[in-house]
Formats: sequence, C-alpha cells, structure tokens
Amino acid sequence: MIIDVNAGLGSYAFRSLPHSTPEAAVAQMDANGIDRALVVSLPALLYRDAHQGNEELAIAIAAFSRRLVGVAAVNPNYPGWEDDLQRSVHTLGMKAVTLHPEHHGYKLQDPAAQAALKEIEQLGVPLVLTQRFEDRRQRHAWDRAEDLVFTEVVAALAPFRTLRVHFSNWIGLDGKRLVDAGLKGRCLIDFARLHVLLRKDVPHLIEHLGVEAIAFGSHAPFDYLGPSLVKLSNLDTFSNDDQAQIAWKNAAAFFRL
Amino acid sequence: MLNRRDFLRTTSVGLGAWGVGAATIGAKEAPPGSEVQRRPDEIHSAGLPNGWRTMRKLDAHNHVMSAVHRPETGWAEVDTLIETADRLGISQLICSRPVMAGVMANIDTVRDANASILAAMRRHPGRILGYCFVQPGNGAAALDEIDRCLDAGMVGVKLYNQYFYNDPVVFPIAERCIERKILFLGHSAHLTDPRTRAAQPKTSDSKVFCELSQRYPELMLILGHINGGGDWEWSIKALRNCPNVYLDTSGSVLENPTIERCVKELGHKRVLFATDMTMEGGVGKLLSAQITAEQREDIFWRNLQGLLDRRRA
Repeated sequence: MIIDVNAGLGSYAFRSLPHSTPEAAVAQMDANGIDRALVVSLPALLYRDAHQGNEELAIAIAAFSRRLVGVAAVNPNYPGWEDDLQRSVHTLGMKAVTLHPEHHGYKLQDPAAQAALKEIEQLGVPLVLTQRFEDRRQRHAWDRAEDLVFTEVVAALAPFRTLRVHFSNWIGLDGKRLVDAGLKGRCLIDFARLHVLLRKDVPHLIEHLGVEAIAFGSHAPFDYLGPSLVKLSNLDTFSNDDQAQIAWKNAAAFFRL
Repeated sequence: MLNRRDFLRTTSVGLGAWGVGAATIGAKEAPPGSEVQRRPDEIHSAGLPNGWRTMRKLDAHNHVMSAVHRPETGWAEVDTLIETADRLGISQLICSRPVMAGVMANIDTVRDANASILAAMRRHPGRILGYCFVQPGNGAAALDEIDRCLDAGMVGVKLYNQYFYNDPVVFPIAERCIERKILFLGHSAHLTDPRTRAAQPKTSDSKVFCELSQRYPELMLILGHINGGGDWEWSIKALRNCPNVYLDTSGSVLENPTIERCVKELGHKRVLFATDMTMEGGVGKLLSAQITAEQREDIFWRNLQGLLDRRRA
C-alpha cells in the first residue's frame, strides 16, 4: 500500500506536464503500485479566483474517488474565500487546504493569510504548504514565485497551536526547530526532495520528529515517480511497521482518509 | 535489522534486504475505499524494474567535496558515498572537487582540490575514478596539473564556471584532452533566473558547448547535469545539431520527462547516467523513464564505458 501525499492535476502554465489528467494519473499510479494520491489543482496556482480550480478538480476526480483525494486551494485575498473554504471541505469533500502565498502574491504573516490559517485550524483539516513547484533556476519570465522560507513559515504558523501542517516538496527542514516550534506530532513531511541515503535527511528528521512525521511523496506529475519509489525501497532496513507508516499509514491518519 | 539510529551511522547492508516474517497488511488496516491490497513486501518492488539494484551503473558525474586528503577531515563523506553507491548498484563513480563560486583559484588551490580526489581513489580503488579540476587561467600550470592527475590515474578533466568554454583560454585544455583521449566534463546550465545568472555569469549553456564541439569535434565533451538547474528543455533542443556533445542526466531536478526528451531529441547513445550527488533521484528517474531496457542499459553504463575505452584503444 502506498499513498502519495504530493501530487497535482491539470495544466501548468510554464511547461507541458505528462500524466496530468485524472485518467493518466491513475494509470501511472497503477503502473507504479500507488494506491491513492492527494492532488492539488495546478491551474489554481495562477487562476485569479483559485476556488474555480477547486470546482474543476472536484468534477475531474469524481469518477476516481477511491484513488484521488482533493486538496483545496484558498486565496485569502479574494472575496468570498471563507465560503469557498467551507464549500471545498464540507460539500466538495476535500481533505486538506493549501495556500500558495508566492503564486497568489502575499506573505503568510499578512493579516489575510493569518485569518485563513485560523479558519483552517478551526475546520480541523490539515494545511499543505508546498515549498516550490519548480526550481527557480529554470523559471519562465512570468514566473516570480520564490521558494517558501522555513524560518518565515515557522514564524507565521506560531499562533496556531493545533493546526496540522504538511510540508510538501521541501528541503532544508530543521527537525529540531520543528520540535521547538511545537510542530512535533502535528506535521507531516514528504520525501520527494529529501535523501534517505547519502545526506540521510529522512533518518535525521525521524530522529527528531518520529517516524510518524514522514510520508511518501513524489511531486508528480512534475517529477518522475521512480526517485520516491527508490527512496521507499531504501527504507528496507527499517521495521516493517515503520515502512508501512511511511508508505501509507501516516498519510491515512494525518489526512483522515 | 538496523534500528533507526544505526541507519544514521551506516547504510551498508545487503542489497534488497527485507525483514523476514513480514506481516500482511490486512483489509482491516487499509484505508476505507482503497481498491488495491498488497503485501508489505510489495512496497519494495512497486513500480521499479525487477533487479534494478543489480543493473550495472557507472556514475559519470559525482563529487568528493571535502579535503579528505587531510588527516583531520576523516573519511565519512567518501565512505558514505560508496555505501550509497553499493545500495544503488553503482559500481563506479567519476568524481571531482571543483573550486566553485567563480573563484579564480591559483594552481596551489587547484592541486589541493585534486589531492582530495586522488586520496579518495586510493581509499576506494576501482570504485572512485577521478576528474582533474583545472582553472584554465592558470595556463601552462593547468596543463601540467592535467598530466599530473592523469599519471596518478584520473580519467578526465572537469571545468567549472570560471570561463565560458568558447573562450580561447579553454582551448589548450580541450586540446590536451584530445591528445590524452580523456573526458572533458563541463558545468552547464541555461539559467533563466536573473539572480542565479548574476551569481554564475560565466556558466556555459548548450550553445557554448556546441561551439566548442564544432571547433574540436573529436573532443569527448560532456555537458554536465542536464537537470542541475536551468531550463533543461532549452538545453536539450540547443544540442540537436551538435552530434559530438554528450550530456549527463544528473542534477537535483527530477522532472519528467527529461530522459525521454533527451533520447527523442538526441538519441540515447549521447546520454550518460550520472547523479551529481542526487543519487537516489538519479537512479530513480532513469528507472521510471519510458525507454527500452537496452536504451536504459546503454545510458546506465555502456555509453560511458565506450568513451573510457577509447583511451585504452
């Protein structure tokens, strides 16, 4: 059993993506032994009204409800975001909420973003924060998004002591600082950009946060699935239960699937 | 079986190990709505070709970045590199220690950098091969350093971004590589981010590599890390009409479908497996690529072996 917590669907403005339709994504999952995936709307990154991406995503994945799990995008600077957030979770059935501060032009410390974080916390669904979608060194001329910065994110999250946070597609996470920030036990980190071997990022994070903080993530369809499958395979020196936790149990518990 | 703390100390265990007596994940434990039930041992083979760990692999682009020739440094970096290679089935890695950040290193600094690689080669003979880093501005001393490195067993030259590779100061280096029948690996990127470009103003892109290869068609020229940052789609397209430039697959970017695009645009014989320290990612993306088994094998090792064999011939 594998649950991929870092995936997306739909067109991306700056390059052609393979396997970005629900049908193609599920076919890829079948070919690679992945049972379920949490998916964000990629068009919502650049839609002015990000919620339209949620509506499209809900329709697109409706026929694949056993395989694809929607993550709602909220732009707290857009009118009606509060209603859209409620609808995404309660009516469209989305299991988590993501904010794209770089793409939507704000900072997590801004009052509007802080209000959204409070709403998400009160709803009791996890927040997904993706450090980056593409490497900035290859950015399109119209792509201004910077990587999210760990210290800024931790500072912005500080007031929300019960908010569960998925750090998606991150590198450079400091396990000790996550513990110091009170995030142990309520954060999930996928290893799409982390090393199991060589730099041993994953074992180091586990030392601080416990195995329950780690999950399988691929960053498909941007990235190949193989790198994360290799990393999962390289956890074969961990106990069977630890491996199952990372492969799917942590994700199932965190997102309440 | 290692516990988690042991894992941080070493990863040198048998290939494909899996704990005996793995319990089946029962339907009771599966998340509601999931359709596919698997035994946990299937986690390890999911999506990856059978026998992937034992497929032969030569890494055309890797590094030893610390001064391991000095006693106080210790061997941890080098030994971890080899342990990781063991786990991934990489039999040989060609390593360099470039002086980076645009520093115009003098010859003493360059020699010190290469001493690290020579020490790593001695510690892991036959596993770590060497690229001799040189700074072309050192002139005749750079050429002497190449000869020193080759006499000590290195197999190629690595240039970083001190000069564009179409700068005449680089030409004697290229000519020495041709004379000695050795590889020329160059740092590359087509950087579209102004901040990165400002930090690396003399990083060569594919067009610069093309210019060098047109001047020296017999040069065994490798464009380093197609996925090392920069617009890889641009880089591949710009190599279409430069049949004598090889590229390596390394870099921290793992984007699909880089490998297929290389094969489609350039032909798989010009593509060399490499990791540039993104070792699991580098292996994984080649395993995932939609190419034939023969193409994968050529990219994993046969293409590079062919280049190395030219020297012996």
